[in-house]
Amino acid sequence: MKTVLEFDNIHRSYKVGTEVLAGITFRMGEGEVLGLLGRNGAGKSTLIRIAMGLLVPHQGSVRVFGTPPTVDPVAVRRRIGYVAEDQVLPPAATIAELIAFHKMLFAPKWDTTLEADLLDRFSLQRGEKIKNLSKGQARQVALLCALCHRPELLILDEPTGGLDPATRREFLEASIQLLNREGSAILFSSHHMGDVERLGGRIVLLDKGKVALDDDLDNLREGISIAFLPLAAGRQQALAAMSGCLRVREAAGELHAIFRGEPNAVAARLSQMNGGLPVRCGQAPLEELFVEMVGGRQ
Amino acid sequence: MQLFINPAGELSIYRQIMRQITEAIAGGRLKPGDKLPSHRDLAEQIVVAPLTIKKAYDELESGGFIETQRGRGTFVAESAPRPDAVEAPAQLKAAARNLLAQAYLSGLGMREATAALRDAEREMANERRLREKESQ
Repeated sequence: MKTVLEFDNIHRSYKVGTEVLAGITFRMGEGEVLGLLGRNGAGKSTLIRIAMGLLVPHQGSVRVFGTPPTVDPVAVRRRIGYVAEDQVLPPAATIAELIAFHKMLFAPKWDTTLEADLLDRFSLQRGEKIKNLSKGQARQVALLCALCHRPELLILDEPTGGLDPATRREFLEASIQLLNREGSAILFSSHHMGDVERLGGRIVLLDKGKVALDDDLDNLREGISIAFLPLAAGRQQALAAMSGCLRVREAAGELHAIFRGEPNAVAARLSQMNGGLPVRCGQAPLEELFVEMVGGRQ
Repeated sequence: MQLFINPAGELSIYRQIMRQITEAIAGGRLKPGDKLPSHRDLAEQIVVAPLTIKKAYDELESGGFIETQRGRGTFVAESAPRPDAVEAPAQLKAAARNLLAQAYLSGLGMREATAALRDAEREMANERRLREKESQ
């Protein structure tokens, strides 16, 4: 599989001494869908801006289609579709003018059929001025501009933040259609775990500047279990020291431990610690896994 | 084919798809030879990544529930697959435990649970008969 995007030991800080990214390494293959997760401030947008060549890493290197994005930014941007978290579109322009501008930038790759299809799907009027659009409609215009040159890599930084469920669903539909038609690679960050599960693929979870998890969504769903144990002296440390333990935290008066392995096997391993009593253990949807991995105090 | 996907459910999405299709086959809503939508069409219908659907189809195919005929599409298999001699009874027992737990919670017992099973069997047989009449 050809590599479309590659981060190698990326470090970046905004304040001296506090690194937002403290050594991020992963690569993305052609046609791969990758969901970038993490709490607010975990560095998702920073990492995405580094991939776009908008920020330079303080250490480490990034390659997009094999070359650093800062070497030939125009050539790279022609192959990428990008929607920023806080995308600003020119308020006085009409949708038609904005489309004409992007068409000129990306000709001859611009797909007019897809353009008409998306305008219709999102119920957007070409003559409408950007400043009169709702937040959701403005996002849809930004997505249209990012999709219609049929990019090999689509980068969406929290594309559906603050949007209502119906608009979010239309966004997802357009992304899935892109996967169907083009097989483009998609890198997206999101706080909506339901959307992340629907887009599937691979998950990279950032925490404290590092990659805390990097695995296929289905492997995470089926290969990781959460066990619940009563509090006891020294137990938290004992659990954390066991092989396959990803995290232990205290919550609601008990211990929550995340282990690699399926629930029955994990429960069997832990039952001895619990005086031979059965241990509650189960698989978790992504939302729960997220909270258990990065939520609360450690 | 109607599928309902719950991303926050305990099962991962491809397993939810597999389960709903096998249940539709067991319940007679899908009959041998019925054509399934292509994985791309189904992806757009239920708004789930095409690769996830493909994974569900691949697993169902290796389990013998469906068959892909090159250039023609994916169909429900002509003969139902042989149930897994070890897994199937174990899964049935797990489902039975759920049923009994539900009964105990409602203050009912073994007798009511058995009656509910017979009721359900009758209902399913009726539905199957209606569907057969419809398709004639």
